[in-house]
Amino acid sequence: MKKASVMDIPDVPKGQLPPHLELQRTRVLCGSDAPTHSEGIQYSGAYASMGIDNSLRLDDFCNKFRVEIIQLTEDEMEFDMIGIDASVANAFRRILIAEIPTMAIEKILMVNNTSVIADDVLSHRIGLIPLDVDPRLFEYLSGNDSPNERNTIVFKLHVSCKKSGPRITVKSDQLKWLPNGSELEMASPNPSAKPKSYTSFTCSQDSLPEFSNKPIGLKHEDIIVAKLGPGQEIELEAHAIKGLGKTHAKWSPVATAWYRMLPEVVLLEDVEGELAEELVKKCPVNVFEDIEDLATGKKKAVVANPRACTLCRECILKIESTGALPPEVLFSEAVKVLEDKCDRVISELS
Amino acid sequence: MNAPDRYERFVVPEGTKKVSYERDTKIINAASFTVEREDHTIGNIVRMQLHRDPNVLFAGYKLPHPLQYKIIVRIHTTSQSSPMQAYNQAITDLDKELDYLKSAFEERISRKLRRVDMEY
Repeated sequence: MKKASVMDIPDVPKGQLPPHLELQRTRVLCGSDAPTHSEGIQYSGAYASMGIDNSLRLDDFCNKFRVEIIQLTEDEMEFDMIGIDASVANAFRRILIAEIPTMAIEKILMVNNTSVIADDVLSHRIGLIPLDVDPRLFEYLSGNDSPNERNTIVFKLHVSCKKSGPRITVKSDQLKWLPNGSELEMASPNPSAKPKSYTSFTCSQDSLPEFSNKPIGLKHEDIIVAKLGPGQEIELEAHAIKGLGKTHAKWSPVATAWYRMLPEVVLLEDVEGELAEELVKKCPVNVFEDIEDLATGKKKAVVANPRACTLCRECILKIESTGALPPEVLFSEAVKVLEDKCDRVISELS
Repeated sequence: MNAPDRYERFVVPEGTKKVSYERDTKIINAASFTVEREDHTIGNIVRMQLHRDPNVLFAGYKLPHPLQYKIIVRIHTTSQSSPMQAYNQAITDLDKELDYLKSAFEERISRKLRRVDMEY
């Protein structure tokens, strides 16, 4: 009697998952109350009983991975990454929000504040103002360092409202950049010694090649900082340093960054005629489109714009930058930060 | 009042190692790695990469407490590999994938910017 191999039997799948399992493995389904199958089935032995190897090798990744950029402006970027897992997209989102360094105002030396806004509230508002400067040109300021031109940017705000004049609104464009460092002097115990300044700039930041063409300023000139009534005055000096979003949200380089799965809308049965027109009209974001079916002269609804749908193993990432770094640079920095983290986490024990 | 300083989330204090390793006495080829000053960003990615390795029987990570900034990654492997090897292999693979991702992305961006320049 001839021995038949198990693989020859017609209903055993050879090397490919049956279609319903393939659907489960690669798509997140939207049920009526919650999404199902949302965890990626990454475990390499998951389909071992069917004889299918689920493990992903590096070459497979390189072959399947693609990036497509949908929109790229100065402040916003939207792009698709096809072939990566949700955990990688989430890691990028977390890093973009919290771990890319930026410059923001940290220390405020208050000389005079007679406005109705309290010192600390005013300082908090000034700290949140986004600065238009590339953080890669600066170094971190740690506890023991003295502030110098490589790690600090100094701004000055001096506004006063005349006693007889109308009320004025202090906007962020009144913050002036001081390329020579702090102008205030520290109180020194020895009255005859030369007074020390709060920052020790060895050369003016103006003279540095990066800043001579493009002076340091703020991204938005029209942010309202405070309002002054007659006779009130604000005089302060602000020092900006490099930091991470993890420490405080003012150092976050993005207004927000989010990702979602690319929706795939499948019509389970043909929708024709009047029903098709209704479907097209109902969708608020124009996902569907009418096409004329030439043979029968009836109209049929077709999915034309699945992206607009608000619910594949494909991920769309959207990044809105606050402006200091353009969004494509932000993403490259995010990949670098993730690589550095991986390197740090590799164990040296063997 | 009792919350630790924000910089503690990423600054490793003097004396503690970034990654430490503890073998499980009761199960062979099983170990826990404790990584200081890391969170879900790295934990989830390493766990996913470990799952893709056919020699790994079990891989999981957890944050024991949200105010203690460390993760514990637990790995069981078959006798063909050791947890240490699986961990190092997973991270090197991730490195390579990220390199490829970065170059693919940069190539796309430069192509798009060139096309935008040519239109003007």
